Amino acid sequence: MFNKILVANRGEIAIRIIRSAQELGLKTVAVYEETDRTAMHIMKADEAVCIGTGPRKDYLNIERIIQAALSSGAEAIHPGYGFLAENPNFSKECTDAGLVFIGPPPKVISDMGSKVIARRIMNEARIRSIPGTDILPEGEEGDEEAMAFAEQHGFPIMVKAVAGGGGRGIRNSANMKELLKNLKVARSEARMAFGNEDVYLEKGLKNPRHLEVQVLADNYGNVIHLGTRNCSIQRRHQKMIEIAPANLPKALLDQICETAVTASRACNYLNAGTVEFLLDEDDHYYFLEVNTRIQVEHTVTEMITGVDIVREQIRIASGEPIAFKQEDITFRGCAIELRINAEDPKNNFMASPGLVQIYQSPGGHGTRMDGAVYQGYEIPRYYDSMLTKLTVYGFTWEETVQRLSRVLNGFIIAGVKTTIPFYKQIMKEPDFLAQKFDTSYIETHPELLDYEEEMPEMDRLATLVAEINAHGYNPYAEL
Amino acid sequence: MPDSQTFTPQMSSREILDRLRNTSGYFMTNNERDLSQSDFKCRIMPNTTLKVAPYRDETGYFAFEICGGACVHVDLMGKQINPFEKLRLVRKSMPRTLLQAVCRGRSLFGYRPYPDNVIRMAVRLFSRYIDVWRIYDFLNYVPNLTVVAEEVKNAGKILMPSICFNTGYGYTNDYYLNKVEEILSAMGEDIILSIKNHSALGTPRRIGELVAAIRQRFPDLLLEYHGHNTDGNDLGRMVSAVMEGVKIVEVSDHGAGGIYSQAPALSMIQTLNDYGMTAPGFKVQPMVDTSDILRRERRIYERFESTYHGFDPTVKRHKLPGGAANIAFEQAERVGLLERIHEVLSELSEVNKELGNVCSVTPGSQIFWTTAVNNVLHGRYRNPTDDLKRLLLGRYGPFPIYNPQDWIYERVLEYNRKDGKKWRQILDEEGGISRLHDEDLEARRLELQGKISRPPTDEELCLYLQFPRDAVEYFRFENKFGKTWMLPTEVWFNRGGFQDGDRITFSDYDGKTHYIDFISTRRTGDSVQTSILVDHNFQSLTHKVSSQKAAGPK
Repeated sequence: MFNKILVANRGEIAIRIIRSAQELGLKTVAVYEETDRTAMHIMKADEAVCIGTGPRKDYLNIERIIQAALSSGAEAIHPGYGFLAENPNFSKECTDAGLVFIGPPPKVISDMGSKVIARRIMNEARIRSIPGTDILPEGEEGDEEAMAFAEQHGFPIMVKAVAGGGGRGIRNSANMKELLKNLKVARSEARMAFGNEDVYLEKGLKNPRHLEVQVLADNYGNVIHLGTRNCSIQRRHQKMIEIAPANLPKALLDQICETAVTASRACNYLNAGTVEFLLDEDDHYYFLEVNTRIQVEHTVTEMITGVDIVREQIRIASGEPIAFKQEDITFRGCAIELRINAEDPKNNFMASPGLVQIYQSPGGHGTRMDGAVYQGYEIPRYYDSMLTKLTVYGFTWEETVQRLSRVLNGFIIAGVKTTIPFYKQIMKEPDFLAQKFDTSYIETHPELLDYEEEMPEMDRLATLVAEINAHGYNPYAEL
Repeated sequence: MPDSQTFTPQMSSREILDRLRNTSGYFMTNNERDLSQSDFKCRIMPNTTLKVAPYRDETGYFAFEICGGACVHVDLMGKQINPFEKLRLVRKSMPRTLLQAVCRGRSLFGYRPYPDNVIRMAVRLFSRYIDVWRIYDFLNYVPNLTVVAEEVKNAGKILMPSICFNTGYGYTNDYYLNKVEEILSAMGEDIILSIKNHSALGTPRRIGELVAAIRQRFPDLLLEYHGHNTDGNDLGRMVSAVMEGVKIVEVSDHGAGGIYSQAPALSMIQTLNDYGMTAPGFKVQPMVDTSDILRRERRIYERFESTYHGFDPTVKRHKLPGGAANIAFEQAERVGLLERIHEVLSELSEVNKELGNVCSVTPGSQIFWTTAVNNVLHGRYRNPTDDLKRLLLGRYGPFPIYNPQDWIYERVLEYNRKDGKKWRQILDEEGGISRLHDEDLEARRLELQGKISRPPTDEELCLYLQFPRDAVEYFRFENKFGKTWMLPTEVWFNRGGFQDGDRITFSDYDGKTHYIDFISTRRTGDSVQTSILVDHNFQSLTHKVSSQKAAGPK
C-alpha cells in the first residue's frame, strides 16, 4: 500500500478521495490553483501544493501535477472525475514518472475514450450497441454517409463527438436538414471542446432510460459488478438525479450486470469503471459507453452495497486484489443522489457564483453529504457549480423519497441560488413518485420550474435586524 | 363566569343581542385600537397586543376593538403587518372574545369614499374576523352607512351604527331622536346604537339626558357609549351613560390609557359599584395583570406619546377629536406651529362653526384641522385644500345643521379656478354627493399582479383598492423581510443599533422560540457590516448595508 497519494482534482470529489485515503492511513496531497485557494479540499488534505495561477488551466497541467506529486513524495495520483481523469496521456505520464495512476491503464482510457473503438470492441464481444457509424469522413463524403445512415435507420439521429463525454458533444437531429447542420456544428464544438473534431452517428432512441453498471476490476483477472444505477433524469444530457438500483425486473438487471462484466473484460478493464447502457421502451438495452473513472454518482452504489469504491480503487492500484467476490455483494434498499448546484433553475440553470451566506446542511438517518462548501465560502465563477452531493438511503423507494423530501426541506443555503427548490418540486411530482421517468423527464415537466423561491423566514427577519443595526433606527417604522 | 353571560365569536348575532337584552348590568369593550391611535400615534405593535391577549381574553369584555380608524392604514405603513394577518393573530390569541372594528362608512378605513363594490368586498373579507362593526358618518348622513350596514348584516355580524355626538347649535335631543329613527328604519331594530363622543364633548349631565331621551323613545334599543377623556371628565360621562341605560361602554386599560383615549375601566367599575351597578362576568384581576404588563411595555412607546401634555377642557371649543389630537400636534410641531398651538386651536374653533358645526371626526376633523393650520399660515381660506372643496361641494353628503356662509364658498370654490366660474355656478354644476362607479376588480387584480409579480390574494386586492401605494410598498416589504411582527417591539423601535453580544429572543406564529445574536458590527465609510447568528444552530449571517443612510447608532 502507498504511504502518500496526490489528488489531482478539486471540490467534493477531492474531499471524497481524501477521506478514503485517510481511512486507509495514507497521507494526502491536494493541489490547487491560486483562484481556488479558499477551496475546502485544501483544508482537508494533509498537504497542499499550489500548481499555478489558474483558473482551470493548471488543473489540466499534467507536468505541474506530476511535479507536485514528485516533490511532495506522493507515490500515486488519483485523478477524480473531470479535468485529467480520462486523459490517457496523464495516465501514461504518471507511469513514466514512476507514479501510480489510480485508474485504468492508458490504452483502456484511450480505447474507451474513442466511442467508435469502444463500439467496435463491444460488437466483437457480441454486446449490442445502438446502430451507428464509424468516424464520418469530412466534407461531402461524410454528409452522404450520414444521409445514407439516416435513410436506413430513420430519425432521430444523434451526432456525437468521438472524444466527447459527460453529456458533452452530443446533438440530436430530427430531420435531414438538422442532421447536416448538426454535423458542421458538432465538428466545430468538438474541435473547441476536445481538440478532436471527429464525429459519428448513432440511431436515437425514443425517450430511452439511462442505465449504468458499476464495475471493479483488479490485476488478477477479477471483475465484479456493484449493481445498476438509473441516471435517466438529465438536463441536456447532464445527469441530475441518480438512483440505485434501477427499477427493473431482477432477471433483466442480472442480465445487464453480466453484460457489463463481459464488456469490462472485453476491453481489459482495470480499476473502477462504469458501463453505460440505454434502455428502450421495450426494455431492450444497448451499450452506450464505458466511463473510465470514478463517477459523480458512485455514492448511491456505495449506499446500497456498503462498498467504499474509492477505497477499492486505491487498493487495486496498489496491487491488491478486490476485497470482495461477486457473491459477497448484496444489494439492500434504495439510494438517490442529487447534485446540489449553485445554479438558478429559473434562469436556464445559469451558474450562480457568490458568497455562501448561510449553509445549514441536513442530517439524520440515511443521509450522506459529499460537499466542498462552507458558510462564508465565495464560490468561484471559474469552476463547476456543484456545491455538494446529497445522497439518501432508504429501505424502499417510498421511504427514500420521503426521507429525501425531509432532508431537502431542512437544507438551507443562502447567498447563492441553488437547485434545491427545483428538487423539492420533483419530490412531489406524481410521475417521479411513480418512478415513471426517462431522459425526457425534465423537458416534459416544465411545471417543475414553477416554484416560489423564498429565503427562510428567520433569515429575512435577520436581514431587517441587520438593517436596523446599520441605520441605528428602523427606517420602516417611521410614518 | 356563567355561560349565559358570555359573548363568544361562535354565537350568532341574534344570540348576542338577545343575551345583551336579557342580562342586567353593563358590559365593557376594550378599545386598544383607539388607545393606540389616540395616545400612541397608532403605534401599539402586535407584539404588545399579543403579549397581553391571554389576560384580556380572560377578562370578559363584550368585545375588543382592534381594527379600523387609522389603524388599518398604519398597520401597512408603520407597523408593516398585514391587517388581516393581525386579526388572525389576535383571533388565535383571544378565541373567546368578540373582535370589533370601527368603520368610517363609505370611507371604510380610509379618508375618501369608495365605490360600492369595494366597500362590499372589504366588509365581506374583514367580517371573517370582525364580529362587531361600529360604523359612523361624520355628517350623520345615514345613507352613507347603508352599504356597509347591508354587508355586515349579510355576514351575520353585529351592526353598531353610531350617532356622532356634537354640541352647539342644532344638536338637540330632537335632532338625535330623528337620526335614531332614521337609522332604525334603514337598518332595522337588531342593532346596537352607539353614541360616538369622539371629541370628549358635553358634560355627564348632557350625555345622561341624551341617553334618557333615546331610552324613553326607544326602550328596547341597545345602546353603546364611545367617548374620549381629553378633558379628563369622560369617566363622569361614562358613569352617567350607564346609569341612564347604556349597555356597553368603551374603556381603556389603566396601565396604558392616557389622555386622548378612553377613561380606565377600573375607575368606572369602582364608581358604578357604589351605585350598585355591576358588570356581569367581568374579572378584574386579569385586567389588572394586563395593565401591569402594559405599564412596562409603555416605556418603549414613550416617544409616540403626545408632546402636548395635560388634559384639555378647552376641547369643548376646538373639538379636536381624541383620535386625531396626538398626530395633529405632531404635524403642528413639524411645521413649527407647536408654539402657536393656541392660535391654531382658536382658529379651529372658528372653522368648526363656520363650516356648519359638522362633527369633528374623520374625515371632517382632518379637513378642519388642515384648514385651521392653513388659515393661520396663509390667511383665512386663502389656501383651501381639495378636501375642503369637496366638503363644500357636498361630495361627502349634505351639511347636517347649516351651510357655511357665502364668502367661504366663494373663497374656496373659486380658488385656482381657471375657467372663471363663480361659486354658485360651480356648486350647481358640480355639487352633490359623489356617485362612484364600481371598480373593475379583475382589472385591478391584474394591475396589482403586475406590481408584485404574483397573483394577489383577495385580501391583498382589498388592501390595494383602499391604499394603492402603501399596500404595494407593504407587500414588497413583506416579501423582503417576512413577518416582522414577530420581532420584539423594542427591536422594531430600536434606537442606536445593537451591541456585540446582544441577543434578540422571540417566538414565531407556532410558538417556537428563535434567537438572533449579534457578533460584531463593522463600519467602513458609509457601509455597515453586521455579523449575526440566527437561531440556536448558530448560522452566521453577514450583511452589508451600503447606504448613505448608514449613519450608525444615534
